[in-house]
Amino acid sequence: MDPLSAKENNIEVILSRRRKAKEIRYCLYAILFLLVVWSIQITIIKDTDWDRIGGLGSVIRGIGRFFPPDLSLVKYLFKPTVETFMIAFLGTMLAIILAVPVVWFSAHNITPSLPITYPIGRAVMTLSRSVHEIVWALIFVSAVGLGAFPGILAVAMRSIGFISKVTAEGIEDVDRRPMEAIRAVGGNTFQVILYGIIPQVIPVFIGNAIFQWDINIRRATIMGLVGAGGLGLTLERQLLMYNHQGVTTVIMAVLVLITIGEIISYYARKAVI
Amino acid sequence: MKLDKVESIHSPQNGFKNNQKLSITGSQKTWSRFKYPQSLIRYIIYLIVFVFIIYSLEYLNVPVGRFFTMFGRLGDMITKKYYPPDISYALKKDYLLYVLETVQMAYLGALLGIFFSIPISWFASFNVTPSRRFAYPIGRFIIMACRSVHEMIWTIIFVIILGFGMFPGVLALTMFSIGFAGKLFSEEIEAIKLGQVEAIRSTGANPVQVLVYAVLPQVRVAWAGISIYTWDSAFRAATVLGYFGAGGMGWYLKESVERLETLRVSAILLTIICLVVVSEVASAWARNKISKMK
Repeated sequence: MDPLSAKENNIEVILSRRRKAKEIRYCLYAILFLLVVWSIQITIIKDTDWDRIGGLGSVIRGIGRFFPPDLSLVKYLFKPTVETFMIAFLGTMLAIILAVPVVWFSAHNITPSLPITYPIGRAVMTLSRSVHEIVWALIFVSAVGLGAFPGILAVAMRSIGFISKVTAEGIEDVDRRPMEAIRAVGGNTFQVILYGIIPQVIPVFIGNAIFQWDINIRRATIMGLVGAGGLGLTLERQLLMYNHQGVTTVIMAVLVLITIGEIISYYARKAVI
Repeated sequence: MKLDKVESIHSPQNGFKNNQKLSITGSQKTWSRFKYPQSLIRYIIYLIVFVFIIYSLEYLNVPVGRFFTMFGRLGDMITKKYYPPDISYALKKDYLLYVLETVQMAYLGALLGIFFSIPISWFASFNVTPSRRFAYPIGRFIIMACRSVHEMIWTIIFVIILGFGMFPGVLALTMFSIGFAGKLFSEEIEAIKLGQVEAIRSTGANPVQVLVYAVLPQVRVAWAGISIYTWDSAFRAATVLGYFGAGGMGWYLKESVERLETLRVSAILLTIICLVVVSEVASAWARNKISKMK
């Protein structure tokens, strides 16, 4: 076979392969499109009560009920806002404490026993991440009663997963040389962890804790909807009274609180890292 | 002196003792990671955090003592009330249909959210935004507002405006995904190389052409990964959206919780956990695959 025809052959092969890939891709697009149409058909067209919504005018009127915000509520909002902030703060602190054993168990290279503690750590992590904070709040409200306490526990449980996942991943790919050095001078396992690993992962850990704290403020704002304290309780009360303008005011308070939280967390992360 | 330190490192049994001796005699400076003013600031920060913890425990009236008795009660509650989960309830056809609808709702919401967050993140990224004075603050504000209002509050608002059903749930998830994906998208855009943007711009392209030919090719892979992650998070949120009147399995959760049918509640929670684990594994696999395609 002379080189020219071989080259041609190659080009043919490449072109046909490309064509095939293109066909597969278009088929995938078509399937995706059909899936979207099907979902729209079921969730939006069939399931919605279009008579209840009415025309565009009634929707706009519905939105208009939220405006203007009910400013007489502002003086009652200070205390719940502070409470929400504190719930998020305490929840994050508790999560930091509770995440330490979880991280220890679920990092592949330092776990005390691979067949027993590693799956336990992983399971706790997944459980904490996969259950929504509302569900955690429901569980803790039925376990410890109403008030800010179940909110703190729910926020903490929800954020353990993320903190420990990222930190465990950080531990799994730490630089091994400091660990070996500590081991070489006769350090035991505990000393290896304390001097070889912790200094390497502490910025990751704290950075993530601050990031979670930022998110936890958001989570703490809805804890009140199921009976734990904070701004959610005020929101729930406004909803029960059909005071939709008050709902707007509460949401504005949430925005202010989260802006403050974001500013604090920005500077805190800058200071740590 | 130096020899002493070296020795202390080499003999771990004596290390602690030697170090102590060093600090007691005080004749030489012991090494510390933070020097004088820094260390003071650190201790002050620790003190502030500690005082704030105590103050907020006091302010919120948290019964700290109950924290330790809680575990016994929680274990008791789970074994007595929630234990054999009512699996047959979770396998009923109605419920499974609702699970399917939850998946669809999450899928649609995430898709719509990603679709809208493409232009919004374009506006909100400082380096390629069409106008720094107008578009940038608008984009930032939209993303921040969507992100800071929790998805449950969005659900409540949309349920009030549109009534019960899947549609408000889809819209709430759209808002959630705009906040979630928009932020990550715009962070990704802000990290691109500007050389290609300049090159396209110098040929006289308008901002849309710059977006299409210089920005999108650079962020394509990262955006695909973020989109999958968005779907994963939206699904996690969708499982409980029904609690406030949007459709899906959350509605069943609310029903069972309010009727105190705890065995059904535990069955529903089990299905939620299983589904979320499946979606997490799938999304991790897909993201891995995409990052390899790069």
